[in-house]
Amino acid sequence: MMGFDLAALLGALGLGSAFALVGVVLAGWMCWRIADKAGLPGWTGLGAILLTLTGIGSVVSLILLWVFAFMRWPRDGEPAVAGFVPPPGGGAPGAPPALPPPAKALSDRRGWKLTGNGVALAFDDAQPAYLLTGEGRGAPGELVVADPSVGRPHARLLTASGRLGLEDLGAPGGTFIDGARLLPGHGPRDITAVRALKLGNVVLALSRS
Amino acid sequence: MWTLIAWLVGLGTFFLMALLVVHVLVALVLIVPTWRICERAGYSGLLSLFHLLPVLGSFIVMAVLAFGDWPNGEGRATASPTVRP
Repeated sequence: MMGFDLAALLGALGLGSAFALVGVVLAGWMCWRIADKAGLPGWTGLGAILLTLTGIGSVVSLILLWVFAFMRWPRDGEPAVAGFVPPPGGGAPGAPPALPPPAKALSDRRGWKLTGNGVALAFDDAQPAYLLTGEGRGAPGELVVADPSVGRPHARLLTASGRLGLEDLGAPGGTFIDGARLLPGHGPRDITAVRALKLGNVVLALSRS
Repeated sequence: MWTLIAWLVGLGTFFLMALLVVHVLVALVLIVPTWRICERAGYSGLLSLFHLLPVLGSFIVMAVLAFGDWPNGEGRATASPTVRP
């Protein structure tokens, strides 16, 4: 009887330890991702969780949580693509937002080309804004990328002082700048030095014409 | 006999209430920073109230923050989809 109780106790302890181990691994993985998303090295999040395994770790982890919540995140400091400052209000679809002056105007005033996936679009700074859409309505300033994954409209291109900006309008397919996701909340971003855009499933190479 | 039972019930209630108060206090210490993290990520701060759910609550909040697309944007230098022009 005594031996059975002992075995049951050890089994329960083992099960508890297994759950605790799984919990720590899960929490470490998730904290790695959260820190990464805030622009911090992922190991800082993992380290905060691993500290709980030490004696005073729980208190230290709690302090680190407060520090993380109120510190300045690298994500907040600089735009994903420097240059275009997001307008107040996040740049809602509708009328093109006023483009703030870029930090430095470029002397290169050549036009731009978007090519790839059977698409060849050319434009210049004759207009302050172009609408990238999956279906054209014949309106001036429309650049049609005929693909079901491209929204109607999908994104807005903005030109100013030889620079090019891009603003996502929230189409489900998503907009990517050199592989980085652009969200509507980011507002217009400078893509002057960018090589590739992805609208839905369509990958387009950006170059000067 | 009845006195003993009354004592045991009283002690049980006391410890249960003490446990509840401690749990709420600990949850509050977690909710305040998590509220701010959720708002900075673009989610509602109310999400942090999951900390009131014992054991699983913290994991739910962390999972949403870790695996959801942050509405206010992310500063990730890694794990972005690759575009091959």
